Amino acid sequence: MRKKLMLSLMSLALIATAFVPYPDSALAQTYPTKPINFIVPFPAGTGNDVIARTIGDKLSKSLGKPVVVDNKAGATGAIAGEAAAKAPPDGYTIFIPSTTLSINMSVSKVPYDLVKDFTPVALVGVMPNCLLVPSSLPVKSIKELIELAKSKPGQLNFGSNGFGGAPHLLAEMLKIAGQIDIVHVAYKGTNEVVADLLAGRVQLLFAPLTTGIPLIKDGRLRILGVASDKRSPALPNVPTMAEVGFPALAIPNWYAVVAPAGTPKAIITKLNTEITKIMAMDDVKERLTNLGVEPRSSTPEEAAAYIKQDVAKWAKVIRDSGVQMK
Amino acid sequence: MDIFNNMILGFTVAFTPWNLFYCLFGALIGTLIGVLPGVGPAATIALLLPFTFNVPPVTALIMLAGIYYGSQYGGSTTSILVNIPGESSSVVTCLDGYAMARQGRAGPALAIAAMGSFFAGCVATVIICLLAPTLGELALKFGPAEYFSMMVLGLVGATMLAHGSLLKAIAMILFGLVLGLVGTDVNSGTRRFTFGISTLFDGIDFVVVVMGLFGLAEIISSLDHEKKKEILTTKVSGLMPTRSDLKASWKAVIRGTVLGSVLGILPGGGAILSSFASYALEKRIASDPSRFGIGAIEGVAGPESANNAGAQTSFIPMLTLGIPTNGVMALMLGAMMIHGITPGPRVMVERPDLFWGLIVSMWVGNLMLVVLNLPLIGIWVRLLTVPYRFLYPAIVMFCCIGVYSLNNSIFDLAMATGFGIVGYILLKLDCEPAPLVLGFILGPMMEIYFRRAMVLSRGDFTVFFTQPISLTMLLAAAILLLMNIAPIVRHKREEVF
Repeated sequence: MRKKLMLSLMSLALIATAFVPYPDSALAQTYPTKPINFIVPFPAGTGNDVIARTIGDKLSKSLGKPVVVDNKAGATGAIAGEAAAKAPPDGYTIFIPSTTLSINMSVSKVPYDLVKDFTPVALVGVMPNCLLVPSSLPVKSIKELIELAKSKPGQLNFGSNGFGGAPHLLAEMLKIAGQIDIVHVAYKGTNEVVADLLAGRVQLLFAPLTTGIPLIKDGRLRILGVASDKRSPALPNVPTMAEVGFPALAIPNWYAVVAPAGTPKAIITKLNTEITKIMAMDDVKERLTNLGVEPRSSTPEEAAAYIKQDVAKWAKVIRDSGVQMK
Repeated sequence: MDIFNNMILGFTVAFTPWNLFYCLFGALIGTLIGVLPGVGPAATIALLLPFTFNVPPVTALIMLAGIYYGSQYGGSTTSILVNIPGESSSVVTCLDGYAMARQGRAGPALAIAAMGSFFAGCVATVIICLLAPTLGELALKFGPAEYFSMMVLGLVGATMLAHGSLLKAIAMILFGLVLGLVGTDVNSGTRRFTFGISTLFDGIDFVVVVMGLFGLAEIISSLDHEKKKEILTTKVSGLMPTRSDLKASWKAVIRGTVLGSVLGILPGGGAILSSFASYALEKRIASDPSRFGIGAIEGVAGPESANNAGAQTSFIPMLTLGIPTNGVMALMLGAMMIHGITPGPRVMVERPDLFWGLIVSMWVGNLMLVVLNLPLIGIWVRLLTVPYRFLYPAIVMFCCIGVYSLNNSIFDLAMATGFGIVGYILLKLDCEPAPLVLGFILGPMMEIYFRRAMVLSRGDFTVFFTQPISLTMLLAAAILLLMNIAPIVRHKREEVF
């Protein structure tokens, strides 16, 4: 009887030690002591996922503990956003949001706030959208496209990979900025709309550069412009939206690693140091570039400022274009 | 000829020891997850993607492709043995395959499925070689109007799949259609029937529905009756199909292969549509349609060939145009991009070793699979002798693992359970679940294509009738519908069922 009592007391004591909090600085030195959960808002094979797995793989090696990729797809990132925002800020959950999550904050009601619910760790990649037209369309520049659209109001179609996505919104902005009347045809995902673009059923499409570049190689499609403020190294001869007079469209897609708000600064700094080293590695750079993403690195503060600015930019776009999800 | 040079290149690539090993590995894993209900090729490919980072791209793709078509082989096994479709494309095989199993003819059913699949796989590989460039272009001619009409035809054809009351079949289709509407509307972003539950924003997952309706419902209803015990005591004899079996099925195999090859290329088509279409076709042209549903071997041979052909030809748009036709192809696309290969028309030119090596390995994989599956049939059949008190919980467990692996969501599990109960009620009411599934898949797609066709035509309805392909299909659907409703035929149909 006494033995049992002793055993239970000892086990209680052991369990109790698990609840003793570590002091902050000691935490950074011992961190991580267990695997880290890396939440990805989209399914396996997507940009966020590939970048997460690449970074996660290297991070596991440098931190000495496994970094487990957790795909929480659904509701265009809202499910993952909510899960990541509600995760305990102990450094064992990180999240890789991208532009879609920023846009959705303004287009519909979402259960997370990219600015308030998260402490950014680092910006890891940037990828602009590009404006694609079929080669059969007799336009060689954005200016000519606008002229064509003005001469045929209501006849040209633009495709999108879904209502409320970046391609849809960028085209709506083009409508307003260029004062043209083009009709929106929504598709589920990029592949179907590319098929219809090739067939000439839609006349223009904003799509991620990753999707666009392979398609122009055989000449059936043309990229008229890049929705960014800097020319893409992959397409040095293609002008940017800013250059041709549409600076409002110069909003590239981004990927960043963030942690729930309240994660200790020491941990954020450690993660940032490791990730900056990872983003400088040649094989990582190559893998991201193959995806069409320009690898980036930044300080946590720079990342925070970037995300905040991006949310504000898209909010303005959505206000101006009047696009709202019901 | 160019083809021969390419084939030789393909053989030299596919027959390296590493590639052969990975091909076998992929095919084995594929068959295994195909047999396990609930775990699908998409989930497996996603899970194994990281393991492909350290091997050359060709090897990675060979293995992943092996998983995909291997799962088509494996999926038929559980459909036939326990009436649970291992893969969504094996749903139709349950109908006659399981009936055959109940008659003690599981062996021949499995054998015909394997042989039909092998034949289809070989033919599909040849087709890919010969027609890859041209076939990719054909798919582009199908606009939204054509897709809509094709789906109307498919739904009307679905009334063929059901036994018994035509009214119940239509009711099931409509029920499936309504279930398919749950989710976010593509054109306006409006959320429909989601009750504010975020997991429903993307709609109800197909696997969840099928697992519940077919898997769990079947188990619940089996607990209801003692009839299952009979199957255990009947000895399963004759693993090999009889001469008459072969005679009856070879034409079905050819028809299924052709149908699957064509349907696999179309975006949104693929293995599932191919198998449903093949079953409907076989039933329609059979000299005695009453045999269907109670053990007609054509009902196994046709769809199994079709789904394998469909699975392989669905690689074409992905490899030639860089456009994936289904979720698994999208994953393959992702795998290619991770390895630095940009999919598209350039792949054939820039990386002929990859393109042709992959194609030849598909044939090699098919060969490996038929060699594996025919002897292993004995083992699969022995699964039936496992007492149900072990088998049922094991099946339920696999279903749960499968459903959970989709989205790591407990809500999905709850929904699958819900559908299990619904499925049980339907079985009690003598309603067929197969038309429900078809309505569930085709309904939302029909809506999307209809509205898109209307947007593109600026509100002009006649577009469905002025496009030749669309018109043909609508006429065919109308004829089919009339034939079903016409009193004389209706009488005969009820007689027959």
